[in-house]
Amino acid sequence: MPKINSRALSPEELNRFGEELDALRARTVATLGQRDADYIRRIMAGVRWLGLGGRVMLMAGAILGGTVLPALLWPLCILGTVLLGLSKILENMELGHNVMHGQYDWMGDPALHGQSYEWDIVGTSDNWRKTHNYSHHTWTNVRGMDDDIGYGLLRIFPEQRWKPFYLIQPAIAVVFAVLFEWGVALQDLRIGRWFAGKMSGRTLWKMATPVVKKIGKQVLKDYLLFPLLAGPFFLPVLLGNIVANVIRNIWTYVIIFCGHFTADAEVFPKESVRKESRGHWYLRQLRGSSNLTGGRLINLWSGNLSHQIEHHFYPDVPANRYAAMAVEVREICARYGQHYNTGSLPKQFGTVIWRILRHAFPSRPGPARPLVAAG
Amino acid sequence: METALPQPTWLSRLNAVWAPPAVLDFWLSRLNPLWSWHQTRARVVERRLEAEGVTTLVLRPNRHFRGFRAGQHVNVGIEIDGVRYTRSYSASDMPRADGCIRITVKAVDGGKVGAYLQTVPVGRVLSLDQAFGELSVPDVSAPCLMLAAGSGITPMLALVNAQAEAGFPRPVRLAYWARTRAELVQAKSLRAIATRHPNFSVYFVLTGEAAQATDELQGRIESLHLDTLLPGDAKAHVLVCGPHGFVERAREVLADRDLSFQAEAFSPPPRLIDASDHGHVRVTLLQSGRTLDIARNKSLLEALEEQGVRPRHGCRMGICNTCSCGKSSGATRALHDRSVQHEPTQALRLCIHAAQSDLSLDL
Repeated sequence: MPKINSRALSPEELNRFGEELDALRARTVATLGQRDADYIRRIMAGVRWLGLGGRVMLMAGAILGGTVLPALLWPLCILGTVLLGLSKILENMELGHNVMHGQYDWMGDPALHGQSYEWDIVGTSDNWRKTHNYSHHTWTNVRGMDDDIGYGLLRIFPEQRWKPFYLIQPAIAVVFAVLFEWGVALQDLRIGRWFAGKMSGRTLWKMATPVVKKIGKQVLKDYLLFPLLAGPFFLPVLLGNIVANVIRNIWTYVIIFCGHFTADAEVFPKESVRKESRGHWYLRQLRGSSNLTGGRLINLWSGNLSHQIEHHFYPDVPANRYAAMAVEVREICARYGQHYNTGSLPKQFGTVIWRILRHAFPSRPGPARPLVAAG
Repeated sequence: METALPQPTWLSRLNAVWAPPAVLDFWLSRLNPLWSWHQTRARVVERRLEAEGVTTLVLRPNRHFRGFRAGQHVNVGIEIDGVRYTRSYSASDMPRADGCIRITVKAVDGGKVGAYLQTVPVGRVLSLDQAFGELSVPDVSAPCLMLAAGSGITPMLALVNAQAEAGFPRPVRLAYWARTRAELVQAKSLRAIATRHPNFSVYFVLTGEAAQATDELQGRIESLHLDTLLPGDAKAHVLVCGPHGFVERAREVLADRDLSFQAEAFSPPPRLIDASDHGHVRVTLLQSGRTLDIARNKSLLEALEEQGVRPRHGCRMGICNTCSCGKSSGATRALHDRSVQHEPTQALRLCIHAAQSDLSLDL
């Protein structure tokens, strides 16, 4: 692995760095218009058509396969499951996640309104807007402020204190991937605090009510209503829905873990964000995030989280612009002597797996890489 | 754009699980762009030029539209270059059996929406809100005097048509101000109604041309006009619609001569206090029904907090969108580039915008 050499910036350099990135944002926002509106509506249409196709295939596979054409059972059900999984991935990532950031609020379309959009996953949009849009995006990779560092389950960075519990984290990480949407649903409830006696059962229940409602709706839809539509042939439909959700869970987990947990991603102490300047905030986002190479296909199916760096610089700019902005961002980073963390999905996720394995065992942080030059 | 839904039944709740309104709307609008599970929309079924830069559109609403009375207006939403704009237009005709609503739109200088609607293709679907507005002819036998200026004629056209339909059970007189004859809308049909109904008379008051016909007057509104419109010391129920200045002048001129006074003024252009950021503006919080004065020289979030209001917020730097709330009127200034936004929006981030004029916020 090449040694990362991001140099510390002087306060003046940080200011200019921030100004250049702000200017790029202003240039981009000034050109938002019809093609961005068309793009996100095409995505929405893609979500709907894939979902419809998936559900119809599953239903057809189950009913036809169960009655007249047994040979169709597996092919149709597999195809249906994959389409449904793709629909959910596209909905969660390129549509839901980006819309909930308010990226398309400028359109004034109530169907694409960041504050009211509800996504197709057991977690509530409201909790996500809080844990993700606010905590994670503002305090990215700041220990004690960004709950997304290891999600309170995993030790990803040597800076996290080691406990014997982490020895089993490789297994936990796999289970977490399969059940990722449930992790997202429960994240903001902080059930750990209730176990530790720091939160009353009543408080927990109050916070849990909307979550339970959302879970109920999703379970009813995917695991009861749609399977029941197939009548006696409900089983393949039920299994297809379960597998589609799991496919989505694993994929989103992989993409999201590649965003901040790769080898070169850094974490920051709480002290570092006291009175943080705009330029410092940008630099911290850069150092704590990592991109994926792979072109348009990976951009689409990762919800443009393949441009995690650009997403963290500009969380409210339509994600379909990140690829174009990335060209300039790379150039700016290079001029300021900053490492631009990117790589293929296998390479980046490989380093994530290595972190999960390595830091299951006690480990010590390397030398600090300061953001701001002393003096 | 959303109509109040009836109390949800267990069936509609179950339905919402299968296909949430957003999903259902997607499929419904694929079948027919007019269809929606809960949104009011309308299709342009006819477009005709009324006068210079004035166009009448006939809109056929979907089933969510709860109808309107003559004298009311509707908010019409259109999309230009990916952005939805909403403007309020008076119905320019009474409700008809076809269930359509007619609006008459003037292209104003620099106005995107008015210009767009001049050439909107027939068949295009627009978003529509429920009708609102209180302007109406009092249901008594006393005479009624209507004063309209410019586009202020539109609700009067609807009211006159409704009165004509009822056979003018009371004397009605309409005075219609315009700059030139060419700008007059439906002058011919108004004259025709006046010929048919002795209880109705119309005067056209020109401010940029000399009066010629017997039913023409000239000049800006003044007491002199009352000699013709309300001769002797007659009194009438008064309805006024026009720009702010016109309405205020009419109020002065008609003091002591009105049995009642209903007025509707076009919303004045946002009052831009100088480009600097001194002073205070008045903010109306629509949900809590509060009105307060806040400073212009800081973010809306800080300025509101200073007044004891605690809007939901997060990062305080414009990235997390937690504080975003609707703004129904007024202008704001983006703190990072000082650009000014006049359009109503459903998502204004309080932490990175300051007030530029008086505001109405959805808080």
